[in-house]
Amino acid sequence: MKSKLLAAIGLVAVTAAALTGCSPAAESAKKADCTNKIVNKDATQVSVWAWYPAFEDVVDLFNENHDDVQICWTNAGQGNDEYTKFSTAIEAGSGAPDVIMLESEVLSSFSIRKALVDLTGFGADDVKADYTEGAWKDVSSGDAVYAIPVDGGPMGMLYRKDILDQYKIPVPTTWDEFATAAQALKDAGAPGVLADFPTNGRAYNQALYAQAGSVPFAYDNAKPTEIGIDVNDAGSKKVLSYWDDLVKKGLVATDDAFTADYNTKLVDGSYAIYVAAAWGPGYLGGLSDADSSAVWQAAPVPQWDAANPVQINWGGSTFAVTSQSKNQEAAATVAKEVFGTEEAWKIGIEKAALFPLWKPILDSDYFRDLEYPFFGGQQINKDVFLAAASGYTGFTFSPFQNYAYDQLTEEQYAMVQGEKSSDQALDDLQASLEKYATDQGFVLQ
Amino acid sequence: MTVFSQRTADLSDHHTTGIPVHEVRGPQRPGRRTGRRRIGSHVFLVILGIYFIIPIWWLFVAATKSNSGLFTSPAFWFDGDFALFQNVAGLFTHEGGIYWTWLGNSFLYAFSGGIGATILSILAGYGFAKYRFRGRGAVFTIILGSVMVPLTALVIPTFMLLSQYGLINTAWAVILPSLLSPFGVYLMRVYTQDAVPDEMLEAARIDGAGEIRTFFTVALPLLKPAIVTVLLLSVVGTWNNFFLPLAVLTDPGLLPVTVGLNRWTALSNAGAGGEQVWNLITSGSFISVLPLILSFLFLQRYWQGGLSLGSIK
Amino acid sequence: MTTSTAVAAPGSARTSAHRPQRRGAGLEVKRQRWGWLFVTPFIVVFLLFLVFPLFYAFGMSLFTSTLATGTQFTGAGNYVKAFTDPLFLEGLLRVAGFAVVMIPLQLIVALAAALVLDTLTSWLSKLSRLFIFAPYAIPVVIGALMWSFLYSPRFGPASSVFGLFGLDTPNFLASDTVFGALVNIVTWQWAGYYMVVIYAALRSIDPSIYEAARIDGANGWQTATRIKVPMISSSMVMVITFALIGTLQFFTEPVVLRNIAQGAIDAAYTPNMYAFSLAFSYSQFNYASAIAFSLGILVFGGSFIFLFLTRKQSGLK
Repeated sequence: MKSKLLAAIGLVAVTAAALTGCSPAAESAKKADCTNKIVNKDATQVSVWAWYPAFEDVVDLFNENHDDVQICWTNAGQGNDEYTKFSTAIEAGSGAPDVIMLESEVLSSFSIRKALVDLTGFGADDVKADYTEGAWKDVSSGDAVYAIPVDGGPMGMLYRKDILDQYKIPVPTTWDEFATAAQALKDAGAPGVLADFPTNGRAYNQALYAQAGSVPFAYDNAKPTEIGIDVNDAGSKKVLSYWDDLVKKGLVATDDAFTADYNTKLVDGSYAIYVAAAWGPGYLGGLSDADSSAVWQAAPVPQWDAANPVQINWGGSTFAVTSQSKNQEAAATVAKEVFGTEEAWKIGIEKAALFPLWKPILDSDYFRDLEYPFFGGQQINKDVFLAAASGYTGFTFSPFQNYAYDQLTEEQYAMVQGEKSSDQALDDLQASLEKYATDQGFVLQ
Repeated sequence: MTVFSQRTADLSDHHTTGIPVHEVRGPQRPGRRTGRRRIGSHVFLVILGIYFIIPIWWLFVAATKSNSGLFTSPAFWFDGDFALFQNVAGLFTHEGGIYWTWLGNSFLYAFSGGIGATILSILAGYGFAKYRFRGRGAVFTIILGSVMVPLTALVIPTFMLLSQYGLINTAWAVILPSLLSPFGVYLMRVYTQDAVPDEMLEAARIDGAGEIRTFFTVALPLLKPAIVTVLLLSVVGTWNNFFLPLAVLTDPGLLPVTVGLNRWTALSNAGAGGEQVWNLITSGSFISVLPLILSFLFLQRYWQGGLSLGSIK
Repeated sequence: MTTSTAVAAPGSARTSAHRPQRRGAGLEVKRQRWGWLFVTPFIVVFLLFLVFPLFYAFGMSLFTSTLATGTQFTGAGNYVKAFTDPLFLEGLLRVAGFAVVMIPLQLIVALAAALVLDTLTSWLSKLSRLFIFAPYAIPVVIGALMWSFLYSPRFGPASSVFGLFGLDTPNFLASDTVFGALVNIVTWQWAGYYMVVIYAALRSIDPSIYEAARIDGANGWQTATRIKVPMISSSMVMVITFALIGTLQFFTEPVVLRNIAQGAIDAAYTPNMYAFSLAFSYSQFNYASAIAFSLGILVFGGSFIFLFLTRKQSGLK
């Protein structure tokens, strides 16, 4: 028995040695190097955190074309994982990179902690003209600019043409038609529903409210102790009661978004319509082989008033310079220029299905005429998303957006559970956010 | 269950003060029941066994499916398309085969952290058991009490400490905190007290051996069974570690496999710019649980003996 | 390091006075200093990675920092706030509920399996034992991730199983069922480990005791409940203590499940999750420290009371 044990231990040890032999952690315990290659070793290095896998090629491109600055890229985790790490680094006073990818919705949450550098002193205005007004507003607070936009999420509606055709349902262009379509689909005995109303939609839910005129927060970094909160306005209430009605009638699902379950349902026909952002097609594309018979098309997002369409945005990322950066000038150069070439954007568009906010590519024929095989060759940018992007006017997020979203999720969940009415849910949300803001030392406007 | 997932701490102690015991009973023990009773017992065990193994069966089946197969085929049976080998090949090519680096890191952290923690535990356990120095009781009590503090509170200070010495985002950031195993110290103390007679130490000293030689030649050989148990628990504890590496490591090339797979999950659920690699997640998870399951299988007699250490007075 | 006042250690009844008097007391004292040398490497790590962070975090908990205004010293203010904070109190109540349901359940499963295994020697029983123990080899994060797939109406077996009987598939992750879903994960993950510990203790009982019981006419059930269980009570107490500490600090499993059930599991579902959300989602590090310490105090109190009440069974004096 003893020899058997020894043999087993030996085997484990050999395997361990073989495996650790190929691990960089084993080679040296010193600070790890960049994921990418540094082309010009004498140049200033700027550390960047970003999570898009396709970013690798963009970095290589940047490094090849810059003699004075080089990017040292690390994937520090997606979204919240990265923010947690960044937040820890801010609190600890060290450990943050020079440049960090952040979604525009969290910029205020970090700038209020003085973690981001105002880029107006580093030539942000030079590139302002390269972005739409809405995109620029998303990265600004008052006169300050806290990041350079990368990609956006102008919203449209992706639908299963095969399903709508099968049940002879016209493509809805307004929310009224959308509700009618939902009813018609159910009456026709379809196995799925028209769409999903995820209570954890966060930015998605907020965008739907914004379409009806909701301006939930008023905040300017120049007056960091003042905030305006208005989440229970008439517009928001109209939107939520609309969805509440559809939920109660069983016309839409209430599955949580961004779960493996939801992903499947998006592609297997459980939902006939996916009200989506411009990055949605890329998201669907990764799952598309689940149902080969599906026929997808894109259309503009439904409107409340067809005569006065309102365009909305869901998500989008930016590059910000952290205040821990030792070389903010070089860092700002990276933030401004990394996605400032057509080649970089072709990688972003073709490999990561990003929707560019950089005007030279946004306005190019290439992007406008791009055909998407997933949509049977439809030119979705021309048909849907370019108009959505240019019509978007920007949004102001709160400096405690994570808390606001968590509360929104709780209230909406309580509503779909039948615990409270839609109006009550939003009134309660207003009250809890006001209390939170007061506790955090803000003066309510 | 704690934040730093110090499994060694929370699984902890089933070993009260007591005498080390050995398997005293052979397979033919008196008092066994026969007949119908056994059928009932077996049925009960089989049902329990199925309950405990079926999620692992699921993981195995899922590891053999392609990305779309995962979403379309029955949960507990194979898809027509047996994609295990494609998945494994995928693990070698996706992001330059970083999965195997993660697995290697897990081994490195588990063995260096586990072995280090065991060494510290042996020394400290021996010190506490065999020397009556001042402050012994108080220090020992504090060490035991430390298990109670939820480690959520320690993330920021630990991060600051490590970053002070430039250790953030290095292998040391995971290995050094893993050296701490209060439960290992406790177990070694209890075991040493009973397994190493004072008289033997005394005799060695009379023969002129110094304290260090006494420890190595007299005490250490007697402690073998406890050493293996502590080693096993610390290695498993570090292997399963999740929140510590999550907090202190950034570089993808340094992550252990738990954090790495979690990262792929986040990326697969991400909206913009993400990618769906569910098949790699399931096959990667399956491969990552194999080493521990297999070593438990092959080392069965050994750990079962070890766990009985001092479990009864 | 060799200073500090003399504290009589429990178990140090045999003082140097009772020891062989061959050497002088000076030599004895010198030798006892070696104790510190053996303990020092561990103590260094302990001070660095536990005591220092602990003190630092405690210091943090005495300050209040808000987003809009700066940081100021508030002493026990955060603690007063914590113990009147409904989110913290609800979380405490919830983990208390988990403790009441989960610990007995795990213990019953582990004990029943161990008792049955103790009477069998077949290959089937050995295989079952391995199966029951297998989940221990799976990292908690991966285990919870696997269960989140199994709970899913799409991937999981539930829809086909319930479909067989023509029933609707229950939603395991609704607000009223998620409690049971979590209990199930934890039981699955840990019961096997506890089973092995209890089994090991059972195997070390001297079999002649059973022989005596059999002669006295005890049946299997009586042997199990009257002889075996009392004899392994010290192992049981320790299993419960650590299950208790783990449950009060409940964290990983609900965090993983929250990814797929954000409505049913809110950010403050357990006190530990609340502390984590406060720190890393809401940037309230000071208050988060206070919550974590408050929880630590309660865990300490709870385990202390439990160990005190069971001091007879556990053999701890």
